[in-house]
Amino acid sequence: MHQRRTRTGLRAGIAAALAAFVLVMTGGAAQAAQPVVEAGAQPAAVVQPQAAEGKTFTIGTDTAFAPFDYADPNSGEITGIDIDMIRAVAEAEGFKVEIKPMGFQPAVTALDSGQVDGVIAGMSITPERKKTFDFSTPYYKSGIAMAVDQDSDIASFEDMKGKTAIAKNGSEGLTTGEELGKKYGFKMSSIEGSQALHDAVTSGQYAAVFDDLPVLQYAAAQGKGLKLVGDPKPAGDYGFAVKKGKNADLLAGFNSGLEKIKANGKYQSILDQYLKNPETASSSKGTIVDLAVSSWPALSKGLVNTLTVTLAAFVLALVLGLVFGMLKITNSRVLRGIASVYVAVFRGTPLLVWAFFFYFGLPQVTGWRIDSFTAGMLALGLNAGAYLTEILRGSVQAVDPGQLEAARSLGLGWGKSMQRVVIPQAIKIATPSIINQFVITLKDSSLLLAITYGELLFEAQRLAGANYRMTEMLIIVGVIYFVVITLLTWVANIVDKKVNK
Amino acid sequence: MSAETAAVKAQTQGKMAIHVKDLRKSFGSNEVLKGIDLDVAEGEVVSLIGPSGSGKSTILRCLNRLEEPTSGTVEVDGFRITDPKVDINQVRRQIGMVFQHFNLFANMTVLQNVMLAPVDTGKKSKAAAREQALSLLERVGLSEKANARPAQLSGGQKQRVAIARALAMEPNIMLFDEATSALDPEMVGEVLQVIRDLAQSGMTLVLVTHEMGFAREVCDRVVFMADGVVCEEGPPETLFANPQTPRLQDFLSKVL
Repeated sequence: MHQRRTRTGLRAGIAAALAAFVLVMTGGAAQAAQPVVEAGAQPAAVVQPQAAEGKTFTIGTDTAFAPFDYADPNSGEITGIDIDMIRAVAEAEGFKVEIKPMGFQPAVTALDSGQVDGVIAGMSITPERKKTFDFSTPYYKSGIAMAVDQDSDIASFEDMKGKTAIAKNGSEGLTTGEELGKKYGFKMSSIEGSQALHDAVTSGQYAAVFDDLPVLQYAAAQGKGLKLVGDPKPAGDYGFAVKKGKNADLLAGFNSGLEKIKANGKYQSILDQYLKNPETASSSKGTIVDLAVSSWPALSKGLVNTLTVTLAAFVLALVLGLVFGMLKITNSRVLRGIASVYVAVFRGTPLLVWAFFFYFGLPQVTGWRIDSFTAGMLALGLNAGAYLTEILRGSVQAVDPGQLEAARSLGLGWGKSMQRVVIPQAIKIATPSIINQFVITLKDSSLLLAITYGELLFEAQRLAGANYRMTEMLIIVGVIYFVVITLLTWVANIVDKKVNK
Repeated sequence: MSAETAAVKAQTQGKMAIHVKDLRKSFGSNEVLKGIDLDVAEGEVVSLIGPSGSGKSTILRCLNRLEEPTSGTVEVDGFRITDPKVDINQVRRQIGMVFQHFNLFANMTVLQNVMLAPVDTGKKSKAAAREQALSLLERVGLSEKANARPAQLSGGQKQRVAIARALAMEPNIMLFDEATSALDPEMVGEVLQVIRDLAQSGMTLVLVTHEMGFAREVCDRVVFMADGVVCEEGPPETLFANPQTPRLQDFLSKVL
């Protein structure tokens, strides 16, 4: 969700309201579920680090927090200090990790709802977070710095008087900025996601940004028009987190592994690789065509995911639409009522609420882990199914009633008459609307980036987080959507004409 | 066949094709049929005439329960179709129906229209149904249109296909609901000719019609309806030449 907001800015209010809703909802459920979870959890103290050996853990990470978590500009794969660190630790301790690049807030929410086992996302250890999570020993000592546009006159905290700076939601940078703001007379605002933070300053929306020192250093080194101003403030330590009282074996394994890689020099070499001489990413330069070419491997993966989830959701939607559409035209009041409730619920609630519900909400209550594809497919499919129900019902009712009468008068039953005579004609009537709904569903699938599903827009924003070329990435993604949808519509219309002569 | 021979046949065989007793039908608070008694003997050709809204079509549609009778009994071809336990699909297979607006299946060819019911009810194999359909189409003079779509046919052609489609189930009774009312005048003749042939073949026919000349020519009996009741009935030559009730006299003065 924060990705959408950073990108468009238009729906910020709606997005924020939705995020608040989901957090309140899932937060409330967490408290209710807590005693159950704790009852089954083992005390961390008795767990030996060896307990993690041989197991596989799912680890959530940020997507755009270079140099800790970001998409490699060439391969599109997630990379950074956090990623190398957790992999090195896992290797040292003999357990396996499955990395899920989710974005900071989704990763934290996913950890809380049990969708992932641990989170490494440049997360500072704070007393507030310790209430919900258990942290490892710190693996990095960070600082908070302020950066301004490289052409800005601002040269000190004093120069910020009367201006507004920005920081990431819930970050140490925001807290530090607010303290300094009181002292030096400037205001703080906050949004989600690092990549937009920097854009907000270079585009002139905000005078300065407060962020973690290594992040700002890395960004400045990429030549993105930022410069650091004022002395960095010491800030919290970064820690690896698990849900409070859970995965004690993983936490113990991390701590033990961290000691091992510190001892064998691996730890320092990871830090040096990213912080000493950060390479300037090749995709930070060149034309938009070069950018499109170098991004294509990652974007094509996103496109395949977009098409996969859309197709799966649409098959589900067609089944739902046919079933509930038929229920709507039966004589039974109860069945009609069931169908009406289904349509009313899914047309009357935002798709995104359901996506959050399936991905973050349901696992927290039930303890089942639902992957982002399944959650996204359910949300999209149930939503489109409600619209298809109405499309198919309307189309069946648009078929001349004389057709059904003629079939019935020949001695064919209701079902057979519908199947052989009415439904084929209804589908012909419905086809243009069905194609239209498919296009809507394909476009709506971009919302699934909010539940970290790796679709096209999600991949684009991951890349933009590393190459800082948000505008061009959005244009490229827009063109890809446009071309794919135009092609699919064209093919669908040809098929429609061939089949429905 | 005259009315007398039909009556004799009914007596000797003791079998009525259609037996309707005190049939009532209401749509909401509007009572359309107000207690109809009607018997049709096997092989008899009966037409229902009367002003619009008199309930002619509703009677016809109650005979195969396209309309659910409100009360009364309807027996068709030995089945009491007002009995809730009756398998109405089974009964309908014995009763062909032809509609004013043809109602050919728009998603099928002419041949498929005629073949659908015999194949889907399991009455005939596909090959047998096909052979029969082609011979029926030949009988109504449309064998060259077998692969056409309904939309490519004229009104008269559509109605002849609709008759062939109904005949494909080899019914004992045929119901015609204003079969020529939606046709251009020059196409009425071709459809009436098909119905005339059926009448002469000895099939039981009930027609709702506005074609008075045709009713007089082919029917054994004419039933005149007004305001939901049977007003007057009899052999066409008597009824048309010597109407008894003022309602019929008034009606005939307008249509003849």
